[in-house]
Amino acid sequence: MTQLTRRRITAVIVLLIGAGLVYWLTLTRRPAQQAVPSGVVRGGRLVATHRSEPQSFNRYVSANPAEELFARLTQATLVRLNRATGSLEPRLAQEWSSSPDGLTWTLNLREDILFSDGAPFTSSDVLFTFKVLYDKKVESPVASSVMIAEQPLTVRAMDAHTVVIVFPAAYGPGLAILDSVPILPEHKLKASFDAGQFRKTWTTTTPPADLAGLGPFMLQEYVPGQRLIFVRNSNFWRIDDQGRTLPYLDEIEVQIVPDQNSEVLRLESGAVDVMTDQVRAEDLSALEVRQGQGAITLNEAGVAIDPQMLWLNLNPTSALAKSRPWSQQRDLRLAISHAVDRRRIVDTVYLGAAEPVFGPITPGHGEWYLPELPRTDYDPAHARSLLGGIGLTDRNGDGRVDDEHGATARLSILTLKGHTVRERIAAIVQEQLQAVGLVVDVVALERSALVKELMGGTYEAAIFSISFDSFDPGGHLDFWNSAGSFHIWYPAQPKPATEWEARIDDLMRQQSTTLDHAERVRLFGEVQHIFAANLPAVYFAAPRVVVATSARVGGAMPSILSPTVLWNAEMLWLVPAPSGSSGK
Amino acid sequence: MNRDLLAFAGRRIAAAVLFVVVVSAAAFVLVRLAPGDATTDVFLARGGPTAVAEARERLGLNQPLLIHLGEWFRGLVTFDLGESSVYSRPVSDLVRERAGATARLAALALLLAAAIGLPLGVLTASAPRLAAVVAPISIALVACPPILAVLGLSLLAVQTGWLSILPGTYALPVLALALPLAAMLERLQSRAMVETLGSPDLVAAAARGVPSGRLLWIHAARQSLRPVLGIAGAVIGTLFSGSLAVEMVTSWPGLGRLLFDAVAGRDLFLAAGCALVGAALIALANLIADVARAIVDPRLRGTM
Repeated sequence: MTQLTRRRITAVIVLLIGAGLVYWLTLTRRPAQQAVPSGVVRGGRLVATHRSEPQSFNRYVSANPAEELFARLTQATLVRLNRATGSLEPRLAQEWSSSPDGLTWTLNLREDILFSDGAPFTSSDVLFTFKVLYDKKVESPVASSVMIAEQPLTVRAMDAHTVVIVFPAAYGPGLAILDSVPILPEHKLKASFDAGQFRKTWTTTTPPADLAGLGPFMLQEYVPGQRLIFVRNSNFWRIDDQGRTLPYLDEIEVQIVPDQNSEVLRLESGAVDVMTDQVRAEDLSALEVRQGQGAITLNEAGVAIDPQMLWLNLNPTSALAKSRPWSQQRDLRLAISHAVDRRRIVDTVYLGAAEPVFGPITPGHGEWYLPELPRTDYDPAHARSLLGGIGLTDRNGDGRVDDEHGATARLSILTLKGHTVRERIAAIVQEQLQAVGLVVDVVALERSALVKELMGGTYEAAIFSISFDSFDPGGHLDFWNSAGSFHIWYPAQPKPATEWEARIDDLMRQQSTTLDHAERVRLFGEVQHIFAANLPAVYFAAPRVVVATSARVGGAMPSILSPTVLWNAEMLWLVPAPSGSSGK
Repeated sequence: MNRDLLAFAGRRIAAAVLFVVVVSAAAFVLVRLAPGDATTDVFLARGGPTAVAEARERLGLNQPLLIHLGEWFRGLVTFDLGESSVYSRPVSDLVRERAGATARLAALALLLAAAIGLPLGVLTASAPRLAAVVAPISIALVACPPILAVLGLSLLAVQTGWLSILPGTYALPVLALALPLAAMLERLQSRAMVETLGSPDLVAAAARGVPSGRLLWIHAARQSLRPVLGIAGAVIGTLFSGSLAVEMVTSWPGLGRLLFDAVAGRDLFLAAGCALVGAALIALANLIADVARAIVDPRLRGTM
């Protein structure tokens, strides 16, 4: 080795050491974090992220997660579902009573409440809101979730602060149906509604001064694609247990961050306080390190209630049913359930942060969950035996099962392109079904294309999940009832296709109209047993929902329902930055 | 400006207009033909079949493609780009908000890339030792997909605090776009310079005693710009396509993100409007590059 070469090597080593030193210095010069004091502190700006931006400020025109968040911050409902406890709370209605048959509800509204623009809130705002909600021209995406037996609620005002709501049929979940109905200011919106222009009202270009609401915050500024800034609504009516007016925060900045990697980086760096969505399994270890450094707080909110599911198209008129009658057999679904190792999905897809599940109701549903339901444990030999029972055996010794005509049994499973959890589950399912001889093709489609296949019923099988906005199954009849549009394996049946679906229809009708809560729980337990015995959809695992906030956030009550933290924004507060630190 | 140059510019403008109309019409047709439509959100919001049918009727999705396209063309003639089904707002307003942001980002990135890449290319062509250090870095940057470049820079920003990651700040998105582009320009300029420096006229000029600095930075640099300008269109196209990843990660409110949302939401008018403005920006940049080439090399005026 020449002297020149040695010098070069030495120079490279010195450079590398220098670069390492600079990197180490930059890592260790973060300000020290301070423990959260016990007292509530008023003021400050909380920075949150959201992955999409609102397409409208009008909740009744667009009902995506961004509009839902906007409405939770700026508007208020008559009653509210506490997303952490599942209980119903008074909101604009301070108390209520119902007739013995549960059909007529009388709500006493809070008096002396003002909208954010100073106009008084009265029962006429409630009437106007329901008029808008059910108006045909408005085509509100919220309307279908505020119907009972496909009929609208009837609302009338007794006086300026009393409204009576009449249900078209008894409804077990009761007033929880109002959780998705923010009350609109009639004085701001009546003119556009009367002119038939309601869908074009409160677009994202509407000046914040033209908006008004009864929520804890008001929009101050919207920079398209970047951020929304909300400031405290000084007319907000709620006070805390010690008589202090809410909200505690002065401002909330919601940054639009479409990329989840970037969102996590910002949280790690301390640039944001709250991630709107739950933490992905792959981000947990890095965030646990930052939690150990006192920079962030990880809260486990519970087990998700929207587990991924695999179902086959059970519409008897579908091409699948006609070409492969074996695909409609219950034992095929049982075989699939036995062939897939749920523990492997928990460990490899969710990195251990999930629970194996065997039906749509997970431990996250609380009292509705039945831990004693029969389980289809991992048993490939039994899966093969079940396949043999429906005529699917390996007739030519190629390791694949064939039907009675000798054709290889094959299924195509659709899933959502780019959704890593679903794609990974699909890959495991494909591999494990092939291990028992069933050939599976996984086809990943982007969202609109996938939905077209599902709506058109032109698919064979799919892996997807259905989001629920409440814990009570009585609010999700479109999934449970055979006539429902989200009875996903065979939607909108003219009459129940099977006896067990007819039985579930009957039980759910009773469950959703019975006012005795214990009886409702019992009836739904029976529904779950029937579901487990017939397994129209196969469930594998439900992730544990972990919510991350910066350590300076106080008052958070994380929920497994979205928005996981900001649903209760009025109770959030910030620990002030330690003196001498640079802050954010 | 002589008549040749004016005629040349006129031909290029006509071609640019045709290009813009074809690209935006193609966007409209492709999004319309793609599986699924703008009622996906209505379905996923559990609106039910009636709500889906009503939305489809309101959005004109039941009419034949040609009639729908004809409506869009009629609007285009009067500069009406239609209304977005996603945002319930005029498309022209939406693209106006975002096009400026994308144009600013692209222009700054292009300027920074040119300011770094072109001089560095001249230097690396004349200094082999410097080239031995710079070339591998350039090749690595050129090969780096935009999403990796921006995530790497974001990580650096978070770890060091050297760059702001707040939405709306320029440093991170501009660097993420400019660095790979600068590397590409450096490689192109360097190769062009090596060829130019070996050309007979430059050898003769050196023999006549033209100072080496003047030879390198004036004569050779100017000649070597021709091939670099020749691929300027492709470079600018790369810049716009790469901006999507950068906009997504850095929360930059640009046209790329809007187009992505429009295509994902099957928003026909918005997708066509974004494609129109994006194509117009690319056409404009190409036009400027072509005119610059024609000024640098008058022989091109009759051939392009």
